[in-house]
Amino acid sequence: MTDGNDPGVPAQRDPHDVPAVASAPVRASVPPRPRLAPLGRTIGHVGLALTVAFAGLALGAGYWQVIRSPDLSTAADNPAVIAAARNVVRGQIVDRDGRVLATNARNKATGEPYRRYADRTFSTVIGYATADFGTAGLERSWNAQLTGVSNGNAIGDLLRKFRSDPYDPQKLTLGISSALQRAAVRGLGDDRGAVVMLDPRTGEVLALASTPTYDTNAIANPDTSREAFAAVREAASRPLLTRATQGQYVPGSVFKIVTAVAGLGSGRLTASTTFPEQPRAERDGLLVSGFRVNEHPGVPARSLDLAGATEWSSNIWYALAGLRTGGDNLAKFAERMGFGAPLDFDLPTARSQVTNGDGGAPGGFSDDVELANAAYGQGETLVTPLQMAMVAATVANDGTLMKPHLVTAATGRDGTRTIAPEQLGVVFAPDEAAALQVAMRRAVESSVGRQFTSGAKVPGVTTAGKSGTAELGGRGAPHSWFIGFAPVDDPRVAIAVLVERGGRGGERAAPLAGDLMALFFKTFPR
Amino acid sequence: MTAATASGLPAILGPIRPRARGRESKLLALVAITILVGSVSLELAPRVADPGESTGLSLANPLHVAIYLGLIGLAHLVLILSGRRMDQVLLPATAMLGGISLLLMERLPQTLVAQDVGPWKLGLGDVQLAWLVLSFSLATALAVTVRNDRWLRLYKYTWAAAGVALLVATYFLGDEINGQRLSLSLGPLSGQPAELLKVILVVFLAGYLSEYRPLLVEESTKVGPISLPPLPFLAPMVAMWAIALGLVVVQRDLGAALLFFTVFLFLLYAATGRPGYVIVGVILFLAGSFVMYNLVGTVQTRVDIWLDPFKSPTGDGYQIVQSLYAFGRGGLLGTGLGAGLPTVGGNLPIPAVHTDFPLAALGEELGLVGVLGILGLFLVVVERGLRIAASAADEFRALLAAGLALVIGTQALIIAAGNLKLIPLTGITLPFVSYGGSSLLVNGIIVGLLLALSDRGVEPPPPPKPRSRLARLTGRVTRLETPASARAPLPPGGGTR
Amino acid sequence: MDPFLITVWVVRLLFLALLYLFLFRIAKALVGDLRAAAREPGAELGRLIVVASPGGEPVEGTSLALDAIATIGRDVNNAIVVEDQFASAEHAILTFRGRAWYVEDLGSTNGTFVNGSPVQGVSPLGFGDVIQVGQVRLRLERPRSDRSRR
Repeated sequence: MTDGNDPGVPAQRDPHDVPAVASAPVRASVPPRPRLAPLGRTIGHVGLALTVAFAGLALGAGYWQVIRSPDLSTAADNPAVIAAARNVVRGQIVDRDGRVLATNARNKATGEPYRRYADRTFSTVIGYATADFGTAGLERSWNAQLTGVSNGNAIGDLLRKFRSDPYDPQKLTLGISSALQRAAVRGLGDDRGAVVMLDPRTGEVLALASTPTYDTNAIANPDTSREAFAAVREAASRPLLTRATQGQYVPGSVFKIVTAVAGLGSGRLTASTTFPEQPRAERDGLLVSGFRVNEHPGVPARSLDLAGATEWSSNIWYALAGLRTGGDNLAKFAERMGFGAPLDFDLPTARSQVTNGDGGAPGGFSDDVELANAAYGQGETLVTPLQMAMVAATVANDGTLMKPHLVTAATGRDGTRTIAPEQLGVVFAPDEAAALQVAMRRAVESSVGRQFTSGAKVPGVTTAGKSGTAELGGRGAPHSWFIGFAPVDDPRVAIAVLVERGGRGGERAAPLAGDLMALFFKTFPR
Repeated sequence: MTAATASGLPAILGPIRPRARGRESKLLALVAITILVGSVSLELAPRVADPGESTGLSLANPLHVAIYLGLIGLAHLVLILSGRRMDQVLLPATAMLGGISLLLMERLPQTLVAQDVGPWKLGLGDVQLAWLVLSFSLATALAVTVRNDRWLRLYKYTWAAAGVALLVATYFLGDEINGQRLSLSLGPLSGQPAELLKVILVVFLAGYLSEYRPLLVEESTKVGPISLPPLPFLAPMVAMWAIALGLVVVQRDLGAALLFFTVFLFLLYAATGRPGYVIVGVILFLAGSFVMYNLVGTVQTRVDIWLDPFKSPTGDGYQIVQSLYAFGRGGLLGTGLGAGLPTVGGNLPIPAVHTDFPLAALGEELGLVGVLGILGLFLVVVERGLRIAASAADEFRALLAAGLALVIGTQALIIAAGNLKLIPLTGITLPFVSYGGSSLLVNGIIVGLLLALSDRGVEPPPPPKPRSRLARLTGRVTRLETPASARAPLPPGGGTR
Repeated sequence: MDPFLITVWVVRLLFLALLYLFLFRIAKALVGDLRAAAREPGAELGRLIVVASPGGEPVEGTSLALDAIATIGRDVNNAIVVEDQFASAEHAILTFRGRAWYVEDLGSTNGTFVNGSPVQGVSPLGFGDVIQVGQVRLRLERPRSDRSRR
């Protein structure tokens, strides 16, 4: 304002300030634009730039404080959650029949509460909650609800600020049946392995067993916490690894079901697809780009259809089916069932993969050889038992995949919140699923199929399934696999069983699966 | 509002001509009410967890609040008595920030800072209050006494030399803390020279740029499509760049380096109006950052933490992850003053909460609403500073005022963005809010200088008295037709007396 | 709902509300300032020709453009800075109010003179009048009609 009075810098005056009438006659003789922009204007630009930057700050604050606030506030290592865990008596955890699996006791000396667990077979599911060694399992992933920092309802969380007791610890109800869980752990015995049982119609987890188990009571009890935790952490068998969700295994022939889903879903295969080149290949091996795919012994040298190939577990038919389906379709349909990324689940999960995904061929395969091998479950394919249970459940539920979940209800002061079944998507059509159901039933019930899946059949109930024998190369027994479901026309249970180094699928995994499904029908007879 | 001489006072007070500062009075009253309410809120927080017998309202540490508000009132009185026509928003805005700082420091564990001064054992709140008092006293003293800028204007190279000497002295004589030599002790006093360097730098740049402003826009050198000024005048830019890099390499002080360089670029643009300079500067900055990332371990760690702090939430990324948790816990409305920041096992989640992360603590306790309010306060300070600059009497003062305001604004921006994981975290203070004597005193100097610079001497004339609509209309018409003669209703040379 | 907790939250929200009230008051003031700034005419309203200046500052013969307010004095804060030992720091002020110029002495030691007579209070000025501040003499002239000089 006053700088116009300074005789030294008359050029500062903005030429536009001149009234229109006065400047009009002299416009023609206006000298070239002053070289210096007025200071007021450039300072204004700087102010504008800083204001924009502050607006960016405001957006950043909004992002963290509003959009990300719920998940940040319930993160397991958030001091608010940890502090709540120290002050609050955690909610109980019960099984589907209301049997208490986790409750609390009080330290006689300090009066601080600590956790008591009823059943060691749940150690790999529920995990532990301690003051000094953190949390694991459901105790970790549902920490905010168990301590009552959050009850899953944003408005309720906000209103609880106005109450004198801000914590609302929730009681969690699991879909797991203790009877099935115990039988599964007992059935795995001293072997390392995993069993996953799902209700294919809802995605409820009925059993989620991983062996070896460990003593969570010893870890939770402050008197024995330190030694017990050290022992478990150092153990060579790695009990802290929940094999059902975090173990990545070569699938062997159970992966053929994924190939069949992709082939049927993409329309490249039908129930009656046959390959004329199969008979000769059965004798001489199948040459794929110079690599020879060999059949396991005993498969007849003739053209098989989907059901025949599945009951015989023909590597050559499935290799040809995989090549016809194409890598992109195989990867796409596998992805629809959850492959390629960690599953959205109550516990941490490992990623299942069809291929490493770094190859140049469609779907990320490096070439046809890898695709052909992957199609019958070798190649670079790695899966978790939970993922394979989801594959079985997809076929059982007529092609529709439900989201697997452990917790079915959370009960707090304000009542019970039920976790509703959630559909993850339609993977393939019901009629295509029906063709695969028939094939998988033949694999369990036909005279040919029984050779490979002995003991999987549930007496008096139609049963479908597929065994797998995952060759690991080198010496040592293969992983033993079985996936299946029953009854075939109205499936109520889907299962995946893996026994590390358990031998052939039919020897170890299939009979265990049969027993567990039989127990299911005995425990829950309609 | 005409200045009145205090006729009844002794001769020494003769020249005192008080001038009312109505706007400042009203705003300061609002500040006082806000801080009092905040103090009540703070006092209530522990009683929620542990309900006592009383349910009445009272102040948390009323003595501190009284001292602080009393001091602000006193500063206001001194400004009134000085009779200068200074900005009336700066003091309230910074007083609000200081008040929030006081509330925050009262609320944090007092053992974060423990000093024994004579018989008194002082905690965080006490020490911060002392620094706030000194800071605002300094601001007021400068605002009242600085009536001449010659000492700043004429000796810019001396100032620059003093600044560099200060840096060198810190490097050789400084106290080493956490591998960084940032503070310098002089007898019982110790301080961080980089804080003072901010002001010195702005003084030097304002002097240099206002003197060579016309030359800097010459286009005598062309490099490809970019026109550059005569090369010798690029030297200060290169020197600034070198000083910034030197700060990083030698002192590992990323925050100060980033602040200096950003303020420098802002001022360079303000002086020349050339976006080209900014582009060249940003390129230089990026190149320097790249080299630093590969050469200096600290830089690399900071950037890696920034990219993914959740990779090691208990290791390197700990502080920033905890900061984000704090923001997340706050949500929209916050937990309320004094009710946030649960301690775990007696430890604060964020060890440097009082120096580097006050915004995270405020974000938790005042929520997004509070954070936006605090950012708004900083923006107000910047706006006032830039307005003072825009209406300054000459270029030196314009650039000086703009530079001082930009130091505050940019510093708040850098540390707030660091806390919010928008840029890599650098350890600098949030002006007026963070704990720290050097920082508060230098902020006081900045406010004092801005107030002094805002004095425009006299008040504008009262707006023209409303005339009749007809007269206004005719006046406008005649003015449009004959702009010059219309303004000369009096005969040339005609005496009016 | 606990009544004590409701009180606590009322206080907490009141604090935030007051913070925003404060910002709102400032914003209103800032907008007012901006309006006032926009109202101020940028055009020249008159000129001072330096008739005599023994101190050399301002230089004799120069023409100083005037805005609506111009202060004269030794202090650098003045719009027109005079280097003269007989001038006060804040010596005099020229204001353009409505349609005419006025001069007011700011309580200077040696006084302000118009055409040789001392100024009492606020007195109107005419074009061609000579103002004396210390030993510096300045003549008020009409604004130049050609204002796009240079």
